[in-house]
Amino acid sequence: MADLTVKNLGLRLGDNEILRDVSMSVPRGKVVALLGPSGSGKTTLLRAVAGLETPHAGSIKIGERALYDAASGANLPAEKRGLGLVFQSYALWPHRSVFDNVAYGLKLRGISSDERKRRVEAALSQIGLSHLAARYPHQLSGGQQQRVALARALVYEPPVILLDEPLSNLDAKLREEARAWLRQLIVSLDLSALCVTHDQVEAMAIADRIVLLNGGEIEQEGTPAELYEKPRTLFAAEFMGSNNRLAGESAGAGKLKIGDQIIEGAARGEIAPGAPAVGVIRLERVRVSDTPGPNRMKLELKTQMYLGERYELVFALGKSLVRAYAERGLAEGAHYVEFPRDAFWIFPSKR
Amino acid sequence: MPYAVIRFSVLAVMAIAVLAPLSLVGYQSFLSAPFFDSMARFTLRAYQFVFAESDFWVAFGTTLIVAGGMTVIALPLGAALAFLMVRTDLPGRAWLEPLILIPLFVSAVVLAFGYVVALGPVGIISTWVKGAVGFLPWNIYSLTSLVVIAGLAHVPHVYLYTAAALRGLGSDLEEAARITGANPWQVALGVSLPMVMPSILFAGVLVFFLGFELFGLPLVLGDPQGLLVLTTYLYKLTNKLGVPSYQLMAVVVVVIVAVTAPLVYMQRALLKQAQRYVSVRGKGLKQAPLPLGPWRWLALAAILAWFTVTVVVPIAGITLRSFVVSWGEGVKLLEVLTLDHYAELFDYPNIERGILNTLGIGVFGGALAVLCYTAIALSVHRWQSGWTRVVDYLAMAPRAMPGLVAGLAMLWVFLFFKPLAPLKATLFSVWLAYTVVWLAYGMRLISGTLLQVGPELEESARTIGASPLRTQLDVTVPLIRYGMIASWLLIFLIFVREYSTGVYLLGPGTEVIGSLLVSLWGTGAIDLVSALSVVNVLMIALGLAVALRMGVRLHG
Repeated sequence: MADLTVKNLGLRLGDNEILRDVSMSVPRGKVVALLGPSGSGKTTLLRAVAGLETPHAGSIKIGERALYDAASGANLPAEKRGLGLVFQSYALWPHRSVFDNVAYGLKLRGISSDERKRRVEAALSQIGLSHLAARYPHQLSGGQQQRVALARALVYEPPVILLDEPLSNLDAKLREEARAWLRQLIVSLDLSALCVTHDQVEAMAIADRIVLLNGGEIEQEGTPAELYEKPRTLFAAEFMGSNNRLAGESAGAGKLKIGDQIIEGAARGEIAPGAPAVGVIRLERVRVSDTPGPNRMKLELKTQMYLGERYELVFALGKSLVRAYAERGLAEGAHYVEFPRDAFWIFPSKR
Repeated sequence: MPYAVIRFSVLAVMAIAVLAPLSLVGYQSFLSAPFFDSMARFTLRAYQFVFAESDFWVAFGTTLIVAGGMTVIALPLGAALAFLMVRTDLPGRAWLEPLILIPLFVSAVVLAFGYVVALGPVGIISTWVKGAVGFLPWNIYSLTSLVVIAGLAHVPHVYLYTAAALRGLGSDLEEAARITGANPWQVALGVSLPMVMPSILFAGVLVFFLGFELFGLPLVLGDPQGLLVLTTYLYKLTNKLGVPSYQLMAVVVVVIVAVTAPLVYMQRALLKQAQRYVSVRGKGLKQAPLPLGPWRWLALAAILAWFTVTVVVPIAGITLRSFVVSWGEGVKLLEVLTLDHYAELFDYPNIERGILNTLGIGVFGGALAVLCYTAIALSVHRWQSGWTRVVDYLAMAPRAMPGLVAGLAMLWVFLFFKPLAPLKATLFSVWLAYTVVWLAYGMRLISGTLLQVGPELEESARTIGASPLRTQLDVTVPLIRYGMIASWLLIFLIFVREYSTGVYLLGPGTEVIGSLLVSLWGTGAIDLVSALSVVNVLMIALGLAVALRMGVRLHG
């Protein structure tokens, strides 16, 4: 098995540039998540790898084998690429039993019927559904269908499996279980996987690396921890996690002026003093105190919500809101809210 | 008025309109004489008489052969046509689509006349072929011709359902097969075809069923050879015996309905089965067409050949015939051209009336019928009740009656219920028969439109205080307005085309083109028949043009 590499890929649908100069790779045995808001091109990128969309520039390769290469004109049809794809809708064929759904790929590859039976049974036992082989898709629950779709994509041992929002059709409880199960299965089988998702928590849970897409371009690529803790752009910072966004103007490197107060933080990008800037801080990093101090603002508590494992506090800052978590509820009135310096990122702002 | 009362009244009127003719036929079949005869009493004699007739059994057998034969022809051709149109890079698909559907809208009697004047023993094409090869290689008045023509004419029915199913298949299912390693042809045979199989099966049962309804084609093409099917046998029964032998006719009707009713029921079950696989999904609707290579020209030629034989030859034949004094061997076209036949149409007040009546029943009757269908559909719309099933079956019941039979049953209703008698000689009787016969079709059109109205739109009207009736008038009906207009156009086309339903209702004041054509054909007035046929085709062409211009989908 070899790496999947995408280089300088460009793709248009009609007049719309869906993907622009996208380069990324899926190293062997790793899970890579394509993350982004809807319309960012993540599904299109996956479909282009699968051969269901045709790019106009760049290349897609597995090891040295070109699936698509604009330079040489190579463009393998979907069925010649030998990949596995799990559809968002699962796309199980309703006229075939679970066994036949999984066996079809082997049949197309001319595998003898004994061997086929053995391998389908092995695949079904891997996903824990051996006892349902004779059932038809509509007789299965959503979670079971999802597993069958996965088995169908795995059974002929593709070099990379592609997953298109694999968990989005499951309900919330089941999704968390399936997430853990899926990650564990992919890792234990030593598979390479490319997974599309719009859910950042899912991406971080499932993937070794995340490729964050925005408007058809790669915004940032890295490990989940890198994306969460060291976002390079305002978009990346705001897309991951739950955040406060404080608008102000730059008061020199690493300083943000909000109203008449200056908060110190970590500068992200060059900002001229006096230029508009934005401070971003994750909710869980905001601290609340009873006494004044550096990087603290005195803010009025507007409301607080009990969320079970903690409270969410909402403070007023001019016309905007500052949110924070606390273990206990607070008394009404003003409190000191601290934005720890290393957790407060200051980005240049367009406005 | 409470909503329940309105609903009940609408459904009661519908139930009576459907059940009265059916039960009257059943009742009549057990009598010894016509129901208005005071001597009539209950007996099984009529059944014994009909079942002892060898002609009846011959007609029954012929019907089976015709229905089976045309299914065997139409099924593979229609399915292949659908596949070519939906899934391949066949050239000219955009303009082929409306052409393929034309046979659905041309009256079968007009087609039949067209075949006779074009391919009959002294037909326009026949004389030309005879001149060229010295003999005529076909005989239009034969069982084979009948089966072949009926089969070709029903290709669009199979096409419609197969194409709809192919279009409805979620493309992800096919993409999944591609990813798994199947090439486009393996996808077509391994995934697409098995999934549309239920739809093809449905179309097969439908075509077989339509074979039992066939009237115009066997009347024109079979009758001269003494070849009878059940409907023409029934029609002949009227003329054969001097006294009105209603009880015998009723028995034939009962036999026909006994065969068609289960077929209708089967269609319903199969349709449900077929819809199980249909999934309308938003994403990835663009399916890459399968490249046919040079074969695509052959496929196009085959489709055009089918279209020529099924539509161009008969329509061109009847049109040409309507402009010539006479036709036969050695006649020179330029010497015989005339417009007289069209002028002649207006020498006969009944034909003139028939043309006006046809327009009237198409335009105003069509609108009225759509209103009726809408009222019925609305009264069961979002009704959580077991009664909706009953209404469903009631709406389907008239479908089991071929038009000819429904017209006859309706005639009896007007004779049986004395207060209705004065209406018999008015166009109302014809309109009622048409409306009842096409009830199932009309309901399907309207229900299809209603399905597109989101329940939350109606629920929000209810929550802000609108009564159920208000909600339907202020929210539902305005939302389905366009669908109703589209249905009106389709019903117009069908009412103008209809011929068999009016046959038994034909009389002074109730003439329509369809029934006039059948009766004029009987008198041998071929000049008038061809001119009137062309008038009918023109009306339909006009309606079709409007429908296509407005972007109406030609199938419900």
